Amino acid sequence: MSAALAASPPAAPRAAGLARRIGLRVAALLAVALAWEGLVILFGIRPFYLPRLSAVLAAILATPGAYAAGFLRTLTETLIGFVTGGAFGVAVAVAFLRCRTLREMVFPLFVVSQTIPVIAFGALVVLWFGNTLMAKAVIAFYLTFFPVTVNALIGLESVDPRQIALMRSFGASPRQILTRLQLPSALPQTFVALRLAASLSLVGAIVGEWFGDTTGLGVLLLQAMYNENVVAIWAALLVSALLGTGFYAAVAFLERRLVFWGAEQ
Amino acid sequence: MLRHQDDAPATVAEPAPLIELRGVDKTFGPVKALSGFSARIGRGEFVTVVGPSGCGKSTLFNIVAGLEEPDPGGALRFEGQSCHAADLLGRVSFMPQRDLLLPWRNVIDNAILALEIEGRPRKEAREEALRMLPEFGLAGFEAQYPHQLSGGMRQRVALMRTFLFERDLMLLDEPFGALDALTRTLMQRWLLDVWQRHRRTILFITHDVDEAIFLGDRVLVMTARPGAVKLEQRIDLPRPRRPDLVTAPEFIRLKRTLLEAIEEESLKSFQIAEEKA
Repeated sequence: MSAALAASPPAAPRAAGLARRIGLRVAALLAVALAWEGLVILFGIRPFYLPRLSAVLAAILATPGAYAAGFLRTLTETLIGFVTGGAFGVAVAVAFLRCRTLREMVFPLFVVSQTIPVIAFGALVVLWFGNTLMAKAVIAFYLTFFPVTVNALIGLESVDPRQIALMRSFGASPRQILTRLQLPSALPQTFVALRLAASLSLVGAIVGEWFGDTTGLGVLLLQAMYNENVVAIWAALLVSALLGTGFYAAVAFLERRLVFWGAEQ
Repeated sequence: MLRHQDDAPATVAEPAPLIELRGVDKTFGPVKALSGFSARIGRGEFVTVVGPSGCGKSTLFNIVAGLEEPDPGGALRFEGQSCHAADLLGRVSFMPQRDLLLPWRNVIDNAILALEIEGRPRKEAREEALRMLPEFGLAGFEAQYPHQLSGGMRQRVALMRTFLFERDLMLLDEPFGALDALTRTLMQRWLLDVWQRHRRTILFITHDVDEAIFLGDRVLVMTARPGAVKLEQRIDLPRPRRPDLVTAPEFIRLKRTLLEAIEEESLKSFQIAEEKA
């Protein structure tokens, strides 16, 4: 994926580099797929331990509707949790930056909240929100906001004080300093947390589904486990991996688009 | 050059200074950075400030930029009116030592930052900046980002940002300090050229005596900390100043006077450090 899109130097070599990297990744994936299929046949591994990739793919293609519905449902939960968690995390970081007292009061509570195992917290959330989509989004939110708060705060605080002084000398208001200087400066650091949160929010959504639901990748995993249907477990796993990787890649792509200047200064 | 017709000593009152500091003190905890600092800067004047390192030059600048309040007792007057340092925020165009360009803004958008904060429409501000680009040697670079520019170019973008923010008083804090010697002399000549066309009042910090004489109408030499004015030297060299001026006998004579004063102060600050040790 191309860096520095906004900078727009010659596009042709960049496009060639992009094609090459995509080609390499596809080749690597194909190699893994072939190895999987080949090793299972070669060593005669029993399907109970590792079914053949072709069998897993066939299982997905046999009932594509169920997997697609599960994919969409889990994606929705993850996205809602991720977006609200990310926004809340940044908002709290700004509030902490502005008000030291608030930070000293609330920050320890946040830390405590994060030491509660997500499973324990999940039971409570299901009691509050029932078996709804919202319950899963809340768990995804819970896992997302904290790393974003911490990293955004680090980013906001690492702004060069001379840069703030310069903005003030231009007569900038605190709001202008925030939007034109502090928030963009904190972007690289915030994205470190957002990439982490991309994986965490998916975990939250899947764990949330285990507390009870009818659709979702977590539901498919659980059902397959109860039925001891190994192929179905692998199928659900594969679709989850696709969702996780795709989501992470989307966040990483957004990062390269927005933070095109790199870690300069 | 209108104000410089009389040969009276510099201490004689000049008509309506743009900014005036009288007996300004500034302490940071146990450290006294400025003590009884007094200076008057007339409209359209180019005043340079030199002094040993750690003499409170930057403190002086922060006060004039409105970023730091002096201790109570001294007087600060801007355009003939007594004022607080904070009143100067947004009224002085300030350029710090480092270019401090925003890496996510291209050349044009960095240059118009101050105009944007003033509330000028972006489109209008960009058009104005585009017209100014050639004068700053940046024509064709408007869409480049800071990480794609050389040090000298970045500095010119920062200067352009300062010039676009049209205020009567410009504060330049060692703007060429980080540049190599050749780029530096080119930038000095270029700055004089731009200044002569725009006629702003400039207060310029440097630790380079040649630079101070070459650029200034007047040079203020600061004492070792706590900073005050040790010597005020009028530079009556004709303008426009040519590059070979630095080897002229008058130039050398001025340089000798200034260097003597600075050296005396530098030695003092060394002695203070030794006594403390």
